[in-house]
Amino acid sequence: MNLRHRIARTALIAALLLSSVPAAAENVLLTLTGAVTDGRVELTRADFDAMDWHEFATSTSVTDHQPEFRGVLMRDILAHAGAEGSQVRAAALNDYVVDIPIEDFYQFDVLAALYMDGVPLTPRDKGPVWIVYPRDDHGVLADIRYDMRWVWQLVALHVQ
Amino acid sequence: MTTRQEWIRYLGLGGLVLVCLGLLGLAAWQLVQLERQMRIGASENMIWVFGQAQIEALNLALTLSDEAAAQQIQTRFDVLLSRLTLLEEGPQRRFLEDAGVSETLADWRSGLLALDPAQGADMAALRAHVTALVAALRGKASLVMSHEWQIQAERLDRLGHLHRLALVSVLGAALAGLGLAAILIDRERRLMRGRLDRLRAEKLAGDLERERETSENHRRFADLIAHQLRTPLAVIDSAMHRLTRRGGPVSPELVSEKAAVSREAVARLVKLTDTALMMSRLERDGVLPHLGAHDLHDLAAAVIDDLMVAQGRNPSRIRPPAQAAPMVALCDPALTGEILSNLLRNALLYSPLDCRVDVEVSQSQTHIVCRIEDRGRGMSPEEIARAFDRFHRGSGHETLPGSGLGLTLARHLARMQGGDVNLTQRAGGGLTAALYLPREVSA
Repeated sequence: MNLRHRIARTALIAALLLSSVPAAAENVLLTLTGAVTDGRVELTRADFDAMDWHEFATSTSVTDHQPEFRGVLMRDILAHAGAEGSQVRAAALNDYVVDIPIEDFYQFDVLAALYMDGVPLTPRDKGPVWIVYPRDDHGVLADIRYDMRWVWQLVALHVQ
Repeated sequence: MTTRQEWIRYLGLGGLVLVCLGLLGLAAWQLVQLERQMRIGASENMIWVFGQAQIEALNLALTLSDEAAAQQIQTRFDVLLSRLTLLEEGPQRRFLEDAGVSETLADWRSGLLALDPAQGADMAALRAHVTALVAALRGKASLVMSHEWQIQAERLDRLGHLHRLALVSVLGAALAGLGLAAILIDRERRLMRGRLDRLRAEKLAGDLERERETSENHRRFADLIAHQLRTPLAVIDSAMHRLTRRGGPVSPELVSEKAAVSREAVARLVKLTDTALMMSRLERDGVLPHLGAHDLHDLAAAVIDDLMVAQGRNPSRIRPPAQAAPMVALCDPALTGEILSNLLRNALLYSPLDCRVDVEVSQSQTHIVCRIEDRGRGMSPEEIARAFDRFHRGSGHETLPGSGLGLTLARHLARMQGGDVNLTQRAGGGLTAALYLPREVSA
């Protein structure tokens, strides 16, 4: 991991921890920073509910069956936040950080899933948000390079 | 080669083709297998997954010992729980079962759940549980690592095996292909040799046929010459016999008459011998034309004079060409004389004694033409078509003197000079023989 990466990661986690201090922060599921409207956009469950919801079933690399995922499209979230950039740095509760080209979200129907098999995702499992690719619809997605982008426990997106 | 051997060859060839294609197909299948097995699955990354569980356990232990905010403890607790949950899901659980570390993890997870801080659990008990979990995970990490590397090594072994199989298949196919190529090249060589043999045989047969034809021609020529020699010899013999017959003196008139008859017979013999010699030289390609510019009027007139003198015929029978503008051809005078003499003698021989023979010289864009017209009984188109064949004698003329070579010789000599000889029916009866010679183009 290079220095830039490390600084970004530290900044993200700091932002996350700071934002989690106020009482209202409980409702914030996802925080977008970087090239978005006013540099910071916080999404609550109500914001998610205001968007179009989608669902599909797909196999994953960590489960046996094909769970049914439900949530909003990643590209809708970026549009909602007025994101302008070529990639997002996704950060998870468990300190996992990965860069995802924004192109992915337009090329495929990538979901920010909040439900798996009808059960809400929680931080004790893979919640609050799990980035899910339609792995069974496109052969190229069954590859480690895409599997790495399935970020679970997603809490922050930094648009670059 | 027998049919049986041929069949065996075909079967061998087909077998080799099958082996070659089969091995290539096998290699392709092995390569596809290889490609499929070369994908990396995220579930194979168990060292990382297990390491993350370890780190989260440490993180929670650290947070607990720092007596951090409840929210923070809850977050670390949740994340650790999610890690243990992940390890219990399908592919991960199977891996851990294989590595022999699975059953205890479930116990650790339920123990953790019982100490949920959100439910107001005892922090000291949670701390003790997490500390024990950290130690337990550390003990199992090496098992996970060795199992993962075992799996990877086995996978590489399988890939290597497939790779070797594909290589052997390709080599086998290459060998079969070489065999196939050798057989095909051998077959091609045999075919080529067969073709060459056939060509050689055809050429030999052609040579033989030509040789036979030549020999037949020689035989007929010898017969003809002998036959033609007989008649003048018989004439001379008869004349001599008459002169030397006993019983009274021989009158000077009789002597001169018999001398004339004998001389004519001798002239025919000489002519015959000349023709035979000329043919013989032509066959050896021994005659080269000496081309020069000559007026065909003069050449024709000289030939007519010679003919009249030599044969003592009635000069008025031939009407020589009217003297007009010079008709200069590029030709050999001796050869041209021979042709004209030939054609003229034919015209005289094959038409009644009281009929005129016209000789006429004209010119076209490219040629000087000398036409000799008789008023004989002429020839049918079929006869004209065969007239130039060697040894062909006109029908009904077998008894007249001639070698059957005259027209053949005339045409051959004309063509040697870039010209030609042909025969056409004359309007009003009789035959027209025409000699074409190239015009002399003077600078």
